[in-house]
Amino acid sequence: MLRFPAVGRALAGLAPSHSARVQSRAASNMVEVFVDGKPVEVEPGTTVLQACEKVGMQIPRFCYHERLSVAGNCRMCLVEIEKVPKPVAACAMPVMKGWNILTNSEKTRKAREGVMEFLLANHPLDCPICDQGGECDLQDQSMQFGSDRSRFSESKRAVEDKNIGPLIKTIMTRCIQCTRCVRFASEIAGVEDLGTTGRGNNLQIGTYVEKMFMSELSGNVIDICPVGALTSKPYAFTARPWETRKTESIDVLDAVGSNIVVSTRGGEVMRVMPRLNEDVNEEWISDKTRFAYDGLKRQRLTQPMVKDASGQLTATSWEDALTRVAGALQGAQGSEVAAIVGGMVDAESLVALKDLLNRLNSDSLCTEELFPMDGAGTDLRSNYLLNTRIAGIEDCDVLLLVGTNPRYEAPLFNARIRKSWLHNELHVGLVGRQVDLSYTYDHLGEETSVLQELASGTHPFWEVLSTAKRPVVVVGSSALQRPDGGAILAAVSALAQKARSSSGVEEGWKVLNVLHRVASQVAALDLGYKAGVEAIRSNPPKVLYLLGADAGCITRADLPKDSLIIYQGHHGDVGAPMADIVLPGAAYTEKNATYVNTEGRSQQTRVAVTAPGAAREDWQVIRAVSELAGVMLPYDTVDEVRSRLAQVSPNLTRYDDVEGANYFKQANELAAAVNQTLLATPLIPPQLTAKDFYMTDSISRSSQTMAKCVKAITEGAAAVDEPSIC
Amino acid sequence: MLSLSRAVVSGVTRAPAAISQSGVTVISRFNSTAQSTPKKTTFGPLADEDRIFTNLYGRHDWRLKGALKRGDWYKTKEILLKGVDWILNEVKVSGLRGRGGAGFPTGMKWSFMNKPSDGRPKYLVVNADEGEPGTCKDREILRHDPHKLVEGCLVAGKAMGARAAYIYIRGEFYNESSNLQVAINEAYAAGLIGRNACGSGYDFDVFVMRGAGAYICGEETALIESLEGKQGKPRLKPPFPADVGVFGCPTTVANVETVAVAPTICRRGGSWFLGFGRERNSGTKLFNISGHVNTPCTVEEEMSIPLKELIERHAGGVRGGWDNLLAVIPGGSSTPLIPKKVCEEVLMDFDGLLQAQTGLGTAAIIVMDKSTDIIRAIARLIEFYKHESCGQCTPCREGVDWMNDMMWRFVRGDAKAAEIDMIWEISKQIEGHTICALGDGAAWPVQGLIRHFRPVMETRIAEFKQTKQATA
Amino acid sequence: MASSAATRTAAGAAKVVKPIFSRDLDEAKRRVRELYRAWYREVPNTLALFQLDIGHRQAKDKVREMFDKNKHITDPRVIDMLVIKGKMELEETIKVWKQKTHIMRYFHETENQRPADFLSRFYQGHDP
Repeated sequence: MLRFPAVGRALAGLAPSHSARVQSRAASNMVEVFVDGKPVEVEPGTTVLQACEKVGMQIPRFCYHERLSVAGNCRMCLVEIEKVPKPVAACAMPVMKGWNILTNSEKTRKAREGVMEFLLANHPLDCPICDQGGECDLQDQSMQFGSDRSRFSESKRAVEDKNIGPLIKTIMTRCIQCTRCVRFASEIAGVEDLGTTGRGNNLQIGTYVEKMFMSELSGNVIDICPVGALTSKPYAFTARPWETRKTESIDVLDAVGSNIVVSTRGGEVMRVMPRLNEDVNEEWISDKTRFAYDGLKRQRLTQPMVKDASGQLTATSWEDALTRVAGALQGAQGSEVAAIVGGMVDAESLVALKDLLNRLNSDSLCTEELFPMDGAGTDLRSNYLLNTRIAGIEDCDVLLLVGTNPRYEAPLFNARIRKSWLHNELHVGLVGRQVDLSYTYDHLGEETSVLQELASGTHPFWEVLSTAKRPVVVVGSSALQRPDGGAILAAVSALAQKARSSSGVEEGWKVLNVLHRVASQVAALDLGYKAGVEAIRSNPPKVLYLLGADAGCITRADLPKDSLIIYQGHHGDVGAPMADIVLPGAAYTEKNATYVNTEGRSQQTRVAVTAPGAAREDWQVIRAVSELAGVMLPYDTVDEVRSRLAQVSPNLTRYDDVEGANYFKQANELAAAVNQTLLATPLIPPQLTAKDFYMTDSISRSSQTMAKCVKAITEGAAAVDEPSIC
Repeated sequence: MLSLSRAVVSGVTRAPAAISQSGVTVISRFNSTAQSTPKKTTFGPLADEDRIFTNLYGRHDWRLKGALKRGDWYKTKEILLKGVDWILNEVKVSGLRGRGGAGFPTGMKWSFMNKPSDGRPKYLVVNADEGEPGTCKDREILRHDPHKLVEGCLVAGKAMGARAAYIYIRGEFYNESSNLQVAINEAYAAGLIGRNACGSGYDFDVFVMRGAGAYICGEETALIESLEGKQGKPRLKPPFPADVGVFGCPTTVANVETVAVAPTICRRGGSWFLGFGRERNSGTKLFNISGHVNTPCTVEEEMSIPLKELIERHAGGVRGGWDNLLAVIPGGSSTPLIPKKVCEEVLMDFDGLLQAQTGLGTAAIIVMDKSTDIIRAIARLIEFYKHESCGQCTPCREGVDWMNDMMWRFVRGDAKAAEIDMIWEISKQIEGHTICALGDGAAWPVQGLIRHFRPVMETRIAEFKQTKQATA
Repeated sequence: MASSAATRTAAGAAKVVKPIFSRDLDEAKRRVRELYRAWYREVPNTLALFQLDIGHRQAKDKVREMFDKNKHITDPRVIDMLVIKGKMELEETIKVWKQKTHIMRYFHETENQRPADFLSRFYQGHDP
């Protein structure tokens, strides 16, 4: 029952093979129950609430959440069962054969009304000033199931608010003690920070001693809180849910590609919330995804700029800037033009830039992120994807992590590992620096020699790996960016191949995985960009086009004095200050663009707000440059760009689909030809603790909220505490 | 005949307030059936040779030597060797019902454990977390007859195939737990428990665990949680402890008295035990009589003894004479009270008290004479429940607190007469809607008060209104 | 042959459709002239009623311009339809169902044409 929603998906006709198998097996011993007299067949062990949901009858609930364990303490889901004297808690009670569940009987309604009255007894009636107003479960359900008047004339309980960090605002008087947040923290996030103290009417949710809720997934408690007890601190008192416009989009701050909803009002992003996608992020998002949006309003490039005689960047018009860019491109020979793309560039602008440079007879197109080009390199797609897929982690039984800290590099991937560790007894091993991953694992050492020992079978963990039925090996992209990256990839690939053959798993199961850290990398490699800027450093160009390149892997010092740097991007971060010409681009909330996540799943962002000032969507800027430079690109609309994308790499426009790749054997053979040796330096991923998590890219570096998080972690939550208004 | 009358009465119990307040008719109907029972019509007093707890008052040695003298550990090996089925059968024949309050047939409960093993060990957990106001029977056993309990653990453990027994003892019972530990140590040293207990080839351990002073930990699943080192909050059922109990293993939670009488039942035979009391309410029972009586005491008596006789004979009568009696809480604080006119006739057993719309509970009789402010007494009980509610589920957490606030207003009379119906409704909204029975236990005293003393409450409200008008 | 003849007769039958008002072009033209005259006479009234800052000459030119815009139309039914619409506009104007802005919309010379080619659209705004 781990992936309960799989049942729902099976009903929707999207069943992946394994859940379909579960369905057919269970069909033999189904139990028949009745919901208000309507018969329904369910699996044994199904709860009353699930059975009711199967016939489309929603039972009101507060404490029950389908991804958390059952607490059964709110008692809102009480329903009467025919011939059973007491009403039962639908969320916890398994159905029995022949039960007739009465979801709307007099007794059921009385029970609900009674519980609702009790819940409201001590709940403040401050809906007009409550941020949850309009999306509050208590508000909605009291309208539907509650009484129309109050009998409570005693004095109400008041609870002191807790300071649990700069992200979550607590108004504990509103808490109805459903313990969803406590269960989320201990089950999904894997931190035992929250709990209950006191008893009876003095029961409180809190951290016992004053401390921060230290989780990279902490923001999700805002969504699961059924009342306004836990709300977003940055969003506090800024907007109401009914006055915002919601745009379904994709997050690009890590390589997971979490599905999000961007709430906007009046051309401003008010907040970011998760969107359900079982295969990627379920219904959670990381704190960076949720709270870094205020970085979209700061440090933005809003005007085209050129460097004047004194070396200052001054604002100018698009005509001027584009003419200068076109002139520079025309004046340079083919090989004298090069481009570097950053981590948040969409596939449309990637293909446009590639076409532009190709028309100028240049092929120096690089990504900032390094990937070993020895052996098969990026020629075989299976070499650089998370082939098992994120949801595939739930099917594996032994997982080996190499040189990565998934907790901060891909928090939702880590949440998936934890889920599998918790429910499927996943065995995890780690090669690399020992870090807190929110689950236990075997630390095999941080030396690269461990990989060789594993591959030769002398390491004790090999016993575990070789006896695994479905082994998975995940190597972090940072481990591959060392000087000996090619050797590491070769060693890991050999190890994966060996584990596969010893497990005897079926052909479709993929063992080797690469976990990327930036959103653009897979699309860039799919389009044929070269990984790493080494080629540019060894062969400095006259004109360098930086497209959102903010990692600072190339500096002025690497280039000849007279070279011209063009920076196109949305933030004045690292790339823009060294540029001669700055072209303002759009951030991910401001464009309709394609991103491919680390699994190879292409997804679309949508325009939630217009880009600020004179900023334009990136592919359009490149298209305009091409026209002025006399090498006009043959597309005027985004659809035309996408058909060009499909020409180059058809998987890029097959949205929400993962194009599999399965050339491990060939890749492994080619990897054998790599003549690099493993270095002795230990494998240390760049993000080790929570402090390293929050500010990793140009958007989150500009975010005040993220800066507060870092400050709160180093100096304590009180350091960033602001006097509360309410 | 009896079962028919029960059906009628239980129908009345479930009926709404207006009908159920007519307690008199119920009693008269009960009397007619009781008189027509052919077997036995008078119950008690219990003869000295039929007493199970012979050192209830601590007049003798409570250690192993004294216990052996009183017949404990006599032929325990033979009892064990007679096998599981024999023990279970004796307990079933005896008609023993759980002494912790709910009165579930013990033989049946123990036999639930005899399912084929799935590899997990089974455990017996003894509930010695005696915290109910008015109840003080288990502590007498624990401090004066601990060997009865230890032997009972062994016999009961054998009957359910348990590997070990955990005795969860109330934290405040410091001396009791130390006596118990001494007794266990003695039993270990004498080879009575532990590896090859009593030479029967059966391995059995007994552990003592002290609680931390929460009344709710006397609820079986909360007790299990507490035993596991977690917050003592009741679990959802199902799964029942017999499937998933302490440390995830099949567990039976039994009251101290239930376990302690088991060896004697096995020695003297189930039919001997069955000979006491009415049908379905057999055996002897420890009664605690407290409150406004001349000599409060704990006494072992036959089941189904009339309440009046129990008070008159053992507690020296009500203070100021029987006519000074106002009401009695017959089964510990969570059972509804009964007024004097019901007390005249009622028999002290499960069915008799159920017919009187109350319950036997732990048989802790709290006697209140006419000097009692009955509203205040109940309000104090509700305050206790408010303080002891674990706060896990909504009706109990919010409802009991609400009732507490209202009850103290009723004590002053600062309320409207319509609010009496309201608190009745609130108590009904709590009852049966909670995870554990604490919510029920908090609701019943209020219901009992309204059922029998509504005029008192109304008078109080009227008086308050008058004095307020006079001062205004 | 027969079938094509049938279609031709069918097409002929389709051509002889029920007229709206006018039997032929002349009658339609007469209706147009009537409408034009009515508008022409209404101009001073309208200028006064809506307090328009427009000269008589300019207003009359605008009326003529509006009529001239459709002078290429020869189908009497289309002309009739336009006349009906013109009458409705006139009635709305006479009875002051319109407001000043509605009248001034006839004079929308300030409106810009949207650019057609990519580059000018790019220069102009976000959403070309």
